[in-house]
Amino acid sequence: MLNINNLKVSIEEKQIIKGLDLSINKGEVHALMGPNGSGKSTLSYVLSGKEGYEIDSGSVDFNGKNLLDLEVDERSNEGLFLAFQYPMEIPGVQTSFFLKTAINAKRKYLGLEEIDALEFAKLVKSKAEELSISPDMLKRDLNVNYSGGEKKKQEILQMSLLDPVMSILDETDSGLDIDALRVVSEGVNKLRNKDNSFLVITHYQRLLNYIKPDFVHIISDGKIVKSGDFSLALELEEKGYEEVSKTV
Amino acid sequence: MDNLSAYGNKILNDYNPFKNFKLENYKYAQLHKDYISDNFSESIYDYADLLKISCQIQKADFIVTDLNSKIDQWKFNSADSYFRVSSLSHRSSLAIDLDSFTQEVLMMDVNHFDENISFTKKSNKHQTLILVTSNISDPLPRSIFFDLEQSSSLEVLQLSLSNKKSFIYFEINQSNFSKMNFLTFQSCNNHIRNEFYASLGEKCELNLLGLNFKNSFINDNFSFIQHLKPSTASNEIFKSIIDNGAITNFQGKIYVDSIAQKTDGYQMSRSLLLDSKSKANNKPELEIYADDVKCSHGSTVAKLNQDQIYYFKTRGIDEQTAKSILQKAFLFEVIESIQNKEIKDFSSKLLDNLI
Repeated sequence: MLNINNLKVSIEEKQIIKGLDLSINKGEVHALMGPNGSGKSTLSYVLSGKEGYEIDSGSVDFNGKNLLDLEVDERSNEGLFLAFQYPMEIPGVQTSFFLKTAINAKRKYLGLEEIDALEFAKLVKSKAEELSISPDMLKRDLNVNYSGGEKKKQEILQMSLLDPVMSILDETDSGLDIDALRVVSEGVNKLRNKDNSFLVITHYQRLLNYIKPDFVHIISDGKIVKSGDFSLALELEEKGYEEVSKTV
Repeated sequence: MDNLSAYGNKILNDYNPFKNFKLENYKYAQLHKDYISDNFSESIYDYADLLKISCQIQKADFIVTDLNSKIDQWKFNSADSYFRVSSLSHRSSLAIDLDSFTQEVLMMDVNHFDENISFTKKSNKHQTLILVTSNISDPLPRSIFFDLEQSSSLEVLQLSLSNKKSFIYFEINQSNFSKMNFLTFQSCNNHIRNEFYASLGEKCELNLLGLNFKNSFINDNFSFIQHLKPSTASNEIFKSIIDNGAITNFQGKIYVDSIAQKTDGYQMSRSLLLDSKSKANNKPELEIYADDVKCSHGSTVAKLNQDQIYYFKTRGIDEQTAKSILQKAFLFEVIESIQNKEIKDFSSKLLDNLI
């Protein structure tokens, strides 16, 4: 699904990712954990195609395509989704209109006709209910005056509507209370199946209690320094990043 | 003009920019440079196109008049009470009594119209006037007057959608308890300047909105709103989007007389520049002599937010579509502020056609 090979990335001449390897297969959930400044968010931005990052070396293969050659919107339409840590507020754009535009962009890319208005309404209603998103919220401007929890739910709603094969969740648990964390995690778990994969980026093991990963990786100073199963997350929680990174 | 303050009169007397182009009010207008030479070519918007949009307003009583073609006929038809040519008024050669129309929506084409026009509204009957003011053939300013009598109300949409130079001088006189909503929609590829002089009587309300989309040359709005009596409210929002080295100017003053207590004045001018060649000059001004008033103004000049475009793209939406949606979102505040449903629908559709 996703193969990252010796990736090195700089921002303004400063190398942030320093030779990262990661391979994620179909149906797997990987957790990427690491302290502040270790390159977690940078990796998510680079994979999504954000401007301003210099790829020094390495390659990223996504379902047989060179991911780094694709435009941001092409990556999305190919099935890559990034759930943001800080979703953008878009004043003047109604949430439901945005969702419809995004769905239709993907349908167009796949050579399908635009979604029927009624079908869209039904689809969004059922998905929003699952995430306990009120219909009223869909009428509001996208992410404007949303609470932290509402913004994250909105990201998961977009994820479920776009039905990606590879989802990156960038600190989706930050700013969430316990109830919202459960709703968001349940939303993600419902989307899990044998054909799609997840990369869950987080500081804390807490989220991983809800979204059980198959693999856990520790990133430090732009490299993956340790990989393991769920028990690695438990060990981290107990001993801290410094201690666990040392034992490499 | 009796309503105007001495100060207002002074400004009016100075209004001929061809004599006084060094005045502060014409600082950015550059009228002296390029206004005089006119270029006569066809309008970007076919009149028929406008009609197509306007017909989407589902109104049974909708009238479209081309003032220019009808003027002679109406001038001399004594049986027709729609228009009366006023020889008494020193300022207007054509006076139109809006109450004599039974229609709720009037569309008037004042293209190539060479006279000053004065509209009078006496009743508070719901009425919408759409003025197509493009293509004024003479480079000298044309005056359009609105006299709102006590407790009357009027909605106006001015459409400036040509590639002809145009310079229009609007004077709005509101008697006590009257309400006026005015939207100017401008998308031209030539030099246009609108001047708005408004004077508000007791408990009057004026909403003056401007929507400027990709005027490709100089688009210039000047406003001078005078709160002359107590408890008046004015709300002014102008938004511009430009590219390709165009210039957008906004200069607006809220003037509050010493007796105009409880004035509520709001003014906002925002410009969105799509490239680094384009330029915006915004100059908000307040002049307040009363002590119990609420007045605020704001002004911004910005580019499209790259992070927002990136967010759209991560959802599979291509850059061009993202930019179009964000431009529309920028103008949305103006569209949302339109209280009249017909004008709101019309403007929204027109914008969809343009973007």
